[in-house]
Amino acid sequence: MDKKKFENHYMKQFDEELEEIRTRLMEMGGKVEQQLQNAIRAVSEADSKLAEDVIREEQIVDDMELDIDEACILIIARRQPAASDLRLVMMVTKAVNDLERIGDEAKKIANHAIILAGETGTSEGYTEVRHLGQSVLKMLGHALDAFARFDVAAAMMTLEEDKQIDLDYKTALRELVTYMMEDPRSISRVINILWVVRSLERIGDHAKNLCEQIVFVVHGKDIRHR
Amino acid sequence: MNVKRETTAKPAVMDTLEISEHQATVGHCFSDNAKMTMRNVNVFYGEKQAIFDVNVDIAKNEVIAMIGPSGCGKSTFLRSLNRMNDTVEGCRVEGDVRMDGEDLYAPKLDVVELRARVGMVFQKPNPFPKTIYDNVAYGPKIHGLADTRVDLDEIVENSLRKASLWEEVKERLHQSGTGLSGGQQQRLCIARAIAVSPEVILMDEPCSALDPIATAKIEELIEELSENFTIAIVTHSMQQAARVSHRTAYFHLGRLIEVNPTEQVFTMPEHDLTEAYITGRFG
Amino acid sequence: MNNSMTNLEKIRKSLSRRNRAEGLFRWAGRVAIFLGLMAVVVLFVDIIGKGHGAFRIAYIELDIDYDPEKIGIENLSDPQQLAGADWQALPKAALNKQFPGITSRGDKRSLYGLISNGAGYDLKDRLMANPLLLGDQERVWILTDDDIDTYYKSWLAGEPYAARLSDKQVEWIAELHEHGKIRLQFNANFFTRGDSREPEQAGIRGALVGSLFTLALTLIFSFPVGVAAAIYLEEFAPKNGWTDFIEVNINNLAAVPSIIFGLLGLAIFINFFHVPRSVPIVGGLVLTLMTLPTIIISSRAAIKSVPPSIREAALGMGASKYQMVLHHVLPLAMPGMLTGAIIGMAQALGESAPLLMIGMVAFIVDIPGGFSDPATVLPVQIFLWADSPERAFIEKTSAAIMVLLSFLIVMNASAVWLRKRLERRW
Repeated sequence: MDKKKFENHYMKQFDEELEEIRTRLMEMGGKVEQQLQNAIRAVSEADSKLAEDVIREEQIVDDMELDIDEACILIIARRQPAASDLRLVMMVTKAVNDLERIGDEAKKIANHAIILAGETGTSEGYTEVRHLGQSVLKMLGHALDAFARFDVAAAMMTLEEDKQIDLDYKTALRELVTYMMEDPRSISRVINILWVVRSLERIGDHAKNLCEQIVFVVHGKDIRHR
Repeated sequence: MNVKRETTAKPAVMDTLEISEHQATVGHCFSDNAKMTMRNVNVFYGEKQAIFDVNVDIAKNEVIAMIGPSGCGKSTFLRSLNRMNDTVEGCRVEGDVRMDGEDLYAPKLDVVELRARVGMVFQKPNPFPKTIYDNVAYGPKIHGLADTRVDLDEIVENSLRKASLWEEVKERLHQSGTGLSGGQQQRLCIARAIAVSPEVILMDEPCSALDPIATAKIEELIEELSENFTIAIVTHSMQQAARVSHRTAYFHLGRLIEVNPTEQVFTMPEHDLTEAYITGRFG
Repeated sequence: MNNSMTNLEKIRKSLSRRNRAEGLFRWAGRVAIFLGLMAVVVLFVDIIGKGHGAFRIAYIELDIDYDPEKIGIENLSDPQQLAGADWQALPKAALNKQFPGITSRGDKRSLYGLISNGAGYDLKDRLMANPLLLGDQERVWILTDDDIDTYYKSWLAGEPYAARLSDKQVEWIAELHEHGKIRLQFNANFFTRGDSREPEQAGIRGALVGSLFTLALTLIFSFPVGVAAAIYLEEFAPKNGWTDFIEVNINNLAAVPSIIFGLLGLAIFINFFHVPRSVPIVGGLVLTLMTLPTIIISSRAAIKSVPPSIREAALGMGASKYQMVLHHVLPLAMPGMLTGAIIGMAQALGESAPLLMIGMVAFIVDIPGGFSDPATVLPVQIFLWADSPERAFIEKTSAAIMVLLSFLIVMNASAVWLRKRLERRW
């Protein structure tokens, strides 16, 4: 199924409205992706200025969420969408929610980045953050790409990436625990890193939700919780 | 509802939305608990074929909605269920239509009896220009269902109660039925239909002439009636089909394209033609 | 836009032309209606102007002496004596008393010519109603002869028409008038008597009753047959070449000149079935033939106008076709059918041509007492009177036309009333 699926309504305006929420969702996805990228960089490069930017721009993501939600409610009220249209609109409202949560997590990461930048010490744990961060970033990118093309195959593949991320997360946890046991003085710093890693894992879960929504839009099958 | 999975697979090629000559219906057409069964039903108006090879069951106590664009044959199909098509000059029905296993087109079957068993409610509210009481009492009278005046009174009251009209008209049973509002008239027609205790009620776009509030009342009524009756309803309003029916059948150019549980048809229809119709696209 | 004018300007420009055309059309309609109304007014003024006089007639007051000797009768219950009696002698004697000293035969004939030659029979009726009057005296208003009546009315109107009167008669009338012994009275005879050769004695009762009998038969024959035919054709007959053929021919029949129906009636009912001539039965049968197409056509239209939704509702309830027609279609179509029937009846009422062919043009004095008594009908009566030479029949003719017209108006009004009364909304 491609984008064509959402065209050819007898009411041209409806085509445009559906296209509009799709485009805005993609914009929001791009913004969230950029937020996450910056947050990870802020942690790994101890750049507190970048982290502050991320925290400030969280507001933009929140506004985008409200805008898209309102557009979806209007479509439901005005067009009473059915079948694939209905699935698309429902999917968009859910995806917007997931993206907003990803934005929240990016903001949390940025908060920890500021704390971490203020501390001195070894660079233990940054490797794990960088590694996991790259995986999560890639997965989010894949999920958004799949959404842009309504590509079920790509979405299914992206779903698999979450399993790897979960494994990486567990490995990172073990490593971080080891650091804390080796050097109790680093505990407070490592706990901050631990929060960052935890946020990254949550973002992976949200990206997974996005992929599941894509399958729901295209096939009408709900593959959540399976 | 006990519905069997239709064996026909979904058409492999989804690019073309044209229907082939031997297009089989997709979805859940058949039922273990069928009240009416239709097999290979074809309907002709003179030379013109209006219905092509329809196979479907209507289960006991279900509400099945027939949707589709104008001229798709859904009303023709509905009218072949109580042989109202007999009154149309040049109309011919082929195939097998049965109710409880009995052939409805058997030569010895009397349509009068059939129509007492399969009631009908029409698009335009059409009460007789008689009193409300006489409207409801008409069926029981001509079929000789009531032995005494008291029996008849009881039938009239019960029917009006079942049609949720009793409270509104009990004070003016002997005023003309045509003086009621459109929605009340349509409920009067429903009361009239159920007064002879039919087994199946056919409704041909019963709300198309009504305002939304009257429509809501009829829809609520359909919900209640489905406890005791089997209901087949033709409607132009997809929302209405979605609200009142258990299963939805989509007709396109005289062919039955898809029959599926309503919740499925309106969220993820199986056939692309159904999808195009219910989402308001040109297929 | 290819020139400088905007659409609005174009519309404005064409507006005056369009309004003018509409105004012209309205005026044409008004003029047409005015002309139609004028024609009706002229007709009515003319007829009423000519005919109103017929409702009053001149009477002379005389002192009647019921002298049994003069009449030549002793016993009122003896039919033979009654038959041989000279009733006219009574008014003659009274006239002699009124104008004494007239001796010459010619003058006497003139004197006796003042009164109707039926005056004696009127007195006989009085006497029979009140036998005690025999041998007694009474002052009675005696009916005048039609010539006297005509003269007296014209004289009153200031334009005396004395062509058929002798000079003596003119004098006598002047004298009577002076003494208040001649006056115009309501002409009850016009409504209570049959036709007569004597205009002053002629009434339309016979024609009226004949018309009623004939129409009653026409209604009894044509309405059920017409309605049944219409119902069969509309509801039961298969639509094929045969029914089309029948339909075309019914429409043709409605356009056949009525005199042809008269010939048909003559050939079939009288020559073949030997129904007697001149009687309401044969008249009713012929008029039935004539009104049947009208009733069938209007009944079919009435049946067609019953909304199909009512038929569907009835069939959907399991009514048989017969029940559908009887319970629903017929009651709803009835006002239209009745209106059609009444209009057909009105047509039949005004028809004379076919009745001429079957002998209903005969001169019939007696008021018909049944369907098989010789009778005539109103339009034929009008025809007969219009054909008569006596001047007094002119006003009788117009008066009869007034009666016929009021009959028609009553029928049409009842058609409207019935329609309003029975019409149901759906």
